[in-house]
Amino acid sequence: MKKKILCTLLAATMAASLMAGCGNDNKTPSNSGNDNNNESNGSQQEITDYGEGNITIWVADNVTEFTKTKAEEFLGSDPAYSGYTVTVEAVGEGDAAKNVLTDVEGAADIFGFAQDQIARLVSAGALQPVTGDYAAWVEAQNDAGAMGAAKVGDMAYAFPLTSDNGYFLYYDKSVVTDPTSLEKIVEDCEAAGKNFYMEVNSGWYQPAFFFATGCELTYDTDNDGNFTACNTDYASDKGLVALKEIIEMCSSKSFQNGSSIDNGTNIGAIIDGTWDSGVAKSTFGENYACAKLPSFEGSDGQKYQMSGFGGFKLLGIKPQTEAGKLQLCMKLAQYLSGTEVQVARYQEVGWGPSNLEAQADSAVAADEALSALAEQLLNTIPQGNYPDEYWQLATSLADDIIAGTINGSMSDDELMEVLKNFQDTCISYAK
Amino acid sequence: MKDTENRNVFKKAESAVAGAFRFIGGDVKDIGVTFKEGDYKTRLSFLIMGFGPLMRKLYARGVAYLTLEVLFIFYMISFGWGYLKDIGTLGTIASGYNPDGTRFYGDNSFLILLYGVLTVIIILFFILAWRMNVRENRNEEKLIKGGGKLPKTREDLHSLLDSNFDKTLLALPCLGIFLFTVLPIIFMICVAFTNYDYNHQAPAKLFTWVGFDNFMNLFSFGSEGFGSTFITVLGWTLVWAFFATFLNYFLGMAVAILINRKGVKFKKLWRTILVVTIAVPQFVSLLYVYKMFANDGLINSYLLKWGLIESAIPFWTNATLAKITIIVVNLWIGIPYMMLIATGLLMNIPEDLYESARIDGASPFQMFRKITLPYMLFVTGPFLLTQFTGNLNNFNVIFLLTQGGPQSMDLTGGAGYTDLLVTWLYKMTINDTNYRMAAVIGIMVFLVTAVISLVVYNILPSVKDEEGFQ
Repeated sequence: MKKKILCTLLAATMAASLMAGCGNDNKTPSNSGNDNNNESNGSQQEITDYGEGNITIWVADNVTEFTKTKAEEFLGSDPAYSGYTVTVEAVGEGDAAKNVLTDVEGAADIFGFAQDQIARLVSAGALQPVTGDYAAWVEAQNDAGAMGAAKVGDMAYAFPLTSDNGYFLYYDKSVVTDPTSLEKIVEDCEAAGKNFYMEVNSGWYQPAFFFATGCELTYDTDNDGNFTACNTDYASDKGLVALKEIIEMCSSKSFQNGSSIDNGTNIGAIIDGTWDSGVAKSTFGENYACAKLPSFEGSDGQKYQMSGFGGFKLLGIKPQTEAGKLQLCMKLAQYLSGTEVQVARYQEVGWGPSNLEAQADSAVAADEALSALAEQLLNTIPQGNYPDEYWQLATSLADDIIAGTINGSMSDDELMEVLKNFQDTCISYAK
Repeated sequence: MKDTENRNVFKKAESAVAGAFRFIGGDVKDIGVTFKEGDYKTRLSFLIMGFGPLMRKLYARGVAYLTLEVLFIFYMISFGWGYLKDIGTLGTIASGYNPDGTRFYGDNSFLILLYGVLTVIIILFFILAWRMNVRENRNEEKLIKGGGKLPKTREDLHSLLDSNFDKTLLALPCLGIFLFTVLPIIFMICVAFTNYDYNHQAPAKLFTWVGFDNFMNLFSFGSEGFGSTFITVLGWTLVWAFFATFLNYFLGMAVAILINRKGVKFKKLWRTILVVTIAVPQFVSLLYVYKMFANDGLINSYLLKWGLIESAIPFWTNATLAKITIIVVNLWIGIPYMMLIATGLLMNIPEDLYESARIDGASPFQMFRKITLPYMLFVTGPFLLTQFTGNLNNFNVIFLLTQGGPQSMDLTGGAGYTDLLVTWLYKMTINDTNYRMAAVIGIMVFLVTAVISLVVYNILPSVKDEEGFQ
């Protein structure tokens, strides 16, 4: 990749040296301050000439065709857009940030991404703020969780696409007798010689325990995407209860670390998301069932309902240097995240809408997995922005538990030391 | 022995540095003499390159020098200076938004650093060219004074296809190596001295020089420093390279000897079976092996089913077990290669050596120790060394098997217990966009590899005693 960039750059060098005098002179000096807060934008004045060019869109593989059709429909809807063509490429939402950040100027104009990457994208200056009329529209159309995810500080940076990035329980009815209790699920799986899957070494699944006991872990960001403060109380009695529960679950021989039905073997129950509902149905066959996450009985004798993150997919726009193209990108992103397209997308690939009207659609409301998720989402915390290092740290914590470096024979004080260490490291990421 | 060798190395380095200074000193003096003793053509050539040769009717050389100077000045004015002037700060104007919501890009630290480095190198080359220009004048004057004849333009051009053909041929490859290898390396080394990371990403944000901060961070042993993690990862990298190289080597040789023995039937069949592992791409086979040894994989499932174990063996999740498993799996990949190489070499050892040994009553082990092993070590020494350095950077096996996991709270920077320095570097650039620390790790990888290769290379029998087996 680096070499490719270099090649391009060097080719550019040659081109640039041919055209004399194009050093740094054509910079716009008028506005060198931090003008993210600039509310007045071009959306007020109607542009009729959008110029011409090509808009590249990166979306997940399974919606590439869908997005292409919809985007072309949109461009065909108004003669003013006729100067533009659209290219849709398959880049997964999980990798979007990676690919965009490798080369911002060469990245797609519009790209779908999972919302855990928003802070990273904003801090790298790779997202155009959504301002003015568009901001109001986004705010009015989407559910509160999705909006929270699309914002950094108090500025919206993306158009929400889905509210279905959450996890819940898929299980085999013939194995699991009581899906409401974690201990019972694990016991049933053990008795039947089946595996119980949860990807506890992922920072995304792990908080299901910590948030259940009432712990907190959020980060404050400023409008530039820098982390300013960490709000956490993992190193507390509540955190200790959660940690002990994780240790207990990991010590079961039926426990497996994982969250993909495809890769699992001998599955009795699995904590997974809507994207695997098709595979789940074919794996469990007649015994397919889903439910919200179970509750567990903590070491202090109390019952806790497992919680976790509610997650969202977003559509972002790369900062543009041409006003016409920027407006068109905004319009296109608005269309692609509107009610009509969200319902169509649900019908096509089963993505749960974030749009309030689309959520009320009868077909969407009748979906089993989506209902289980909807029930679970009531117990979750909308996923905010986390620094990259947090995900690594969470993996480290759970890897230590799975490896038995942190185990049930440790005293409360020693476990508290672990939590203290975890918490301090989390706090150190916000500076 | 070692000590004197080290001392020699130091002495060599010392004399090299002194030599370089003497050379530069002599060079400056030579330039002075040229100016003092030269005619007006030579003196003007100090300012206008190629003036002397042009006046002496050496048109090809004169035009070449003059064009070079014009191109250089043009490059500096139109392009180079714009970047070079900012190289001290790597840019001061940050990017932002225009009133109409569009983006404007300010200074791009990445490009400033890249083109700044390029410009510095171009300047160095220009100085070299200028020096050649001065020497050219001096030589021409000497030639004229001595009554010699200056070469004609046609002869000059012709020499490019004849006596100077090497230069013509190598010009393009050298340019390519410079652009695609040397320049990126210099650039990456520079990055190690900047704060280029997720919070300072071009083109939106600026980054700047931070001196040795990143290196201090690598060797700081506090809770946030990389020190202890670096030592852990480096330690495992060395241990891994050692076992991966020598276990494969000796076991591969053992298998080859075993198959080569008289009385073993179906030799070709055994060899074919072993070579089949080479036929399947590592990508496929390693991912499959990973799944096989996973906690819910084939091996654990069957062991559990047969009641041989109570709970799954943590092949990948326990740090120590993971390391052992990786080395063992690597044996499975590496032995066939080594066996193939050893088979050929073993057949080359003169049979009469063994015969006379047998007559003298040597045991098979003695024969192995005194004949086979020295011969093999002698022939495969350089190969072993490349294997070892290759294993220090053996990305495939580690990344396809464990991705460096298991991670731990005791390690910083997202490192895992089976991470090699390269895989750690990869994770840092791709997952964390922490280019500055990755650049530092990159330099460390180079140092480790270079030191080991140099030291080992110098003690190899095949290098010390080139004619040992002839």
